[in-house]
This record gives sequence, C-alpha cells and structure tokens, in this order.
Amino acid sequence: MNNNMIKLMNDGFDGEPSKRVLQYVKTKKEKNHPIVGIYCGYAPIEMIQSMGIVPAILCSFSKVPIESAETVLPANLCPLIKSSYGFIIEGTCPFYSLSQAVIAETTCDGKKKMFELIADIKPTFVMDLPQLPDEASARDNWKNMIINLKEFLERSFDRKTSDEQIERSLQSANQKNQLMEKIFSFAALKPTVISWQEMYDVAFIALPSTGEEIIPTLKRLIAKLEKRVEEGFYLGNQNSPRVLVTGCPIGGDATKIYNIIEASGGMVVVPDSCTGMKTFMGRFEENTGDPIGALANRYLHIPCACMTPNNKRLDDISKMIDQFQPDVVIDFVLQACHAYNVESYKVGQHVSEKHGLPFLKVESDYSDGDIGQLTTRIQALFESI
Amino acid sequence: MKYAGIDIGSRTIELVILESGEILEKYQTSTGYDPVGAASKLLKGHSYDRIMATGYGREIFQLAYEAQTITEIKAYARGVKELFPNAQTILDIGGQDSKAISLLSNGKIKKFEMNDRCAAGTGKFLEVMANALGFRIDQFGDEALKAAKDLNINSMCTVFAESEVTSLIAKGNNRYEIARGLHASVVRRAVSMLKRISISEEIVFAGGVAKNACIRYLLSEALNQEIKVPDEPQFVGALGAALLAGN
Repeated sequence: MNNNMIKLMNDGFDGEPSKRVLQYVKTKKEKNHPIVGIYCGYAPIEMIQSMGIVPAILCSFSKVPIESAETVLPANLCPLIKSSYGFIIEGTCPFYSLSQAVIAETTCDGKKKMFELIADIKPTFVMDLPQLPDEASARDNWKNMIINLKEFLERSFDRKTSDEQIERSLQSANQKNQLMEKIFSFAALKPTVISWQEMYDVAFIALPSTGEEIIPTLKRLIAKLEKRVEEGFYLGNQNSPRVLVTGCPIGGDATKIYNIIEASGGMVVVPDSCTGMKTFMGRFEENTGDPIGALANRYLHIPCACMTPNNKRLDDISKMIDQFQPDVVIDFVLQACHAYNVESYKVGQHVSEKHGLPFLKVESDYSDGDIGQLTTRIQALFESI
Repeated sequence: MKYAGIDIGSRTIELVILESGEILEKYQTSTGYDPVGAASKLLKGHSYDRIMATGYGREIFQLAYEAQTITEIKAYARGVKELFPNAQTILDIGGQDSKAISLLSNGKIKKFEMNDRCAAGTGKFLEVMANALGFRIDQFGDEALKAAKDLNINSMCTVFAESEVTSLIAKGNNRYEIARGLHASVVRRAVSMLKRISISEEIVFAGGVAKNACIRYLLSEALNQEIKVPDEPQFVGALGAALLAGN
C-alpha cells in the first residue's frame, strides 16, 4: 500500500458515497428535476432518466433504524428490509424525503409485504418481477410492467417520454456501463490498483447519474488509474489474498465484511453484488426500434437469487474468476434472505468443483456482534490458500 | 530452541512448550474476564524462543506480547496431524464455538464449517445445562450415560433449551434422561456440521468437549464408526500453535 496515493475521486466525499449522492440529488432537485425513490437494481433507471426524473436509491444499509422497524416487523427478517422500513417510519432517509413517489420491486416476499406498509405514505408503484427469466412469457410480462411504470411516472410527474428519448438514454447508459467495467478492470491487475472503497464510491454515484453527467468523471478516473499503473502504485502486495465477494447487496454497516477482509490482509477484487459490479454488467441492444423491449431484455438478465433457475449467476462468476483471478470466493448472505442462502450451496459447488477455489459462505446482519467470528473464518480461509 | 503455543479460548487457556519436537511442559487455566492477565500468569516463569497464539484472544494477546497468530482452525489441523497423521476429518467443540474441518492428505485445510455467533451445542451449552440439572460439568457425560433412554430436546439455543429443560423437570421427567437428551442434541448438530464438510474414515474429536464420554459415545453411534480422541483433547490447539511457531 502506498500512503501517498492520490484519492481517486478526491472531491471531499471519499469514503462517504451516500453524502456525494445526496448532494447530486439535491442539486438536481434545485434545478427542478423531480425525484423518484427506487429500491433495487431491477428499476429501469434509463427509462426514468429519459423523462428527466432522478432515481434516488433509498436508504437500507444502516443498523440504526432497525430497532424502530422491529416495533412492527418481525425480528428474524432480512436486515435490509427492516432498515428500509425503519428509515421510513423514523423519517430519517433524506432520499425518501426528497422523493415524490417510490418504485418498488417484488424481489422477495419480505420486501413485497413491507411495501404494503409504506404504500399509503407516498405514491408507490410495485413492479411485479417475473422470476422465471428463461420462460418466453417472462420478457413480455416484464416489458408490460415497464410500460405500466412509464404510465405511472407520466401520470405522477406530469412528464412525457418517447421511444427516441428512451433510446438515447440507454445508448448513453451503455457508454457509462462500459466505462464502469473499465474502472473495475483495474482490480484485475496483480496487485490491484483500486480498492473496494473506491469501486464502491464510484458505483454509488454512477448508478443514479445519467451517462452525459458521469462520463467525463469516469474518463478522468480512468486516466488517474492508468497513471497509478504507470507510476507503479498498487494496493496490498503480490501475496495479498484476492477475494471475490458475491451474494446479497453490501452497503453501509454490511461493508464490515469488506473491512474484515482488508484487516485480515486480503483485497476485494470483485464486489459482485448490486452495490458493486452487477448493475453495470450487460449491454442494452441499440437501435432495435423497441427500446422498452431492449430495457426488458437487459434487466431481466440481472442474475439475482430471486430468479429461478439462476444459472447466469454461475456463468458470470466463472467469467469474473477468469478475468480477476481471485484466490478465494466469499458468499455474503444477509440473515433471513432465503434465496441467496439456499443458492449458496450451488455457488459453493460451482466455485470449488469448476474452479478449485476455497469457498466460504457467511450469514450475517448489520450488527457488529459477529466481527470476531467472521474474522476467524476469513483468516482461516486465507490460511487455506 | 523452545517453541510455545498458547490457545486463548473463551473458557480456558492452554499453553504447550515444545523442545526438539517433544512436549516439555503444558498448562491450563481459566480465561475469566481478563484473557491477557490470565495468559501472563500462565506464562510467568516459563522461557521459550518463539510463541504462537491462537484462539479468540489471539489478537489482544498479540498486542501485549511479541507473538505471531494463527486461527484455531489451522492450529487444530496442525495439532491433529501431529497426533493422528492419517486423520482427514476433525471435530472440535470448545467453550463457545464448534468447528468441523476436513483435511487434504498433506494436512492442508480443505474445507471448514464453524458455528455462528451463538454458543449453541458447545461447552458453554453443556455447562449451563449441567448446572440446571444439578450435575458437575466434569461428570455430566458419565452421568448422562446412566440413562436408559434419551428424552428428545428440540431447542439448540442455550436460553431456549434451559426453559425446555425446566419444563421437562416440572413434568417430573428423569434428570438423567434429560441429560442424555441434551447430549444427543449436541451430537445431532455436530453430525450435520461434519456432513457438510464430508466425513472420512478417520475422524478425530478434539477440544474440551471431547472429554465428555456421552458425547463421544453418541457421536460414534450416530456416525457408525470409531472416533479417535487425543489423550488431552483440550491441548490440541496449543500443540498445533507450538508446532507452527517452530516452522
């Protein structure tokens, strides 16, 4: 590690990505852009942006509001759902306060039922997500759902969009996503020249930004990273265990897993979750004459564990293993997330049998109570390399 | 050269000092509320050239002493390899955690499983239950073996199981049978952990709970194979650490 390495974004918000995003959202609001809250990677942000509406990812990664949430929700529920709900009843999520409406996605039963409890606070549009992505009807159903969303947004915000606008929006997102892939690819170098914190920071701001807004920044970051390579700066060393972290979204208090990996001498080279690489992978087909269909195709192929079968996740993990050369794979499962928890068995088999890599599943929540246990497991995993 | 290994567990601390590969001295003490203080007392008057620490207190010990550290998992793997060179499966049940480890034929760790943050099915669980039933912990296993049958205990959580035990006592059930039922529940949990990492022909059971005769018996019965237990199973971690200090 080089202490004199220049911070990647260097805008005063390094390590505090949600503050950076809040500033972005507030600035847009001041310029009369309406704000819509979203919860997950399946929300088709390019369609939202084509109307000049700003997607704001709602708070869900802090343990603080969980106590309030548990006055209504059961304690043995996923911490992400409890946190999301707690933020709303406490009124402590600034993104929610700035939003005029909310888009919710039926990625799991807990969220689905939680959305019912918040639906009367702000106009809420629940997107019914098909969960058998390989079925022929799934794509049409999802496309219809995106059209329904478009009508909801047009109605709620008194804005219009057109196929041309959506096409422009997805083309610019393709450029943004390609540059994001380029940024992540610096973690494929040995040793890596980008930290998990930097990837996390960039991903947080890049997701809600339009291509036009963020492309110049991304290009500047790429130039900085190239300079690091030229000047021989790197993080960790040749022997630092390289870690692919897959599984549930990791943000805020859940980033303890990244911190433990780093404190144990490892480097996260693949943050494979919805707060990492997942939402930037895969291109929208351009100039099809059916841009909403192109959105539907791309979004339906996000390999979330709510899909069945979810073979694309295994294929993507294989590709990432080939590109980033991790030494170990850690599957991070949030407590009570049945889909990721059950799927972990398949992921473990795939990783150890097909790639011969050590694999560790960890089930955790947002509290600090298990840091000692997790540290022992992760250190033992590194010892087994 | 003298190499020391110290295993700072949640309930007890073990120290092993090796010279020329032979065990020179070994000691045990309670951890209490001050692991570094207890470890210092144990180390007083003993000399060694290098020390390796393991166990949950390894990090805090490392700050106070010039020690290297390794995880309990690696320490147990190394200790067992020394005592049983052909072993490929290890079950370690300690004071507040339990682990199952599978080894490659060269002794390297192939896979491991560890319990979560709660102390279900560990030494602490047995201690609380022995207390609730009026048995001494060091005789708990032998007493439980006197029962003709075991009563089914469903709860694994220490707190829930204690209430379950209380209600079984209130119904007038035999405390020996309750005791045996509690042992069987610990074994069921250990077996499922072992099955997740795959079971080999030679299984070694180590950690303090391996001193419990009832757990040993029920485990061997459940897996339908002989279980190897070191003479002093609670010292395996410290032995492994001492051996690794010499590497």
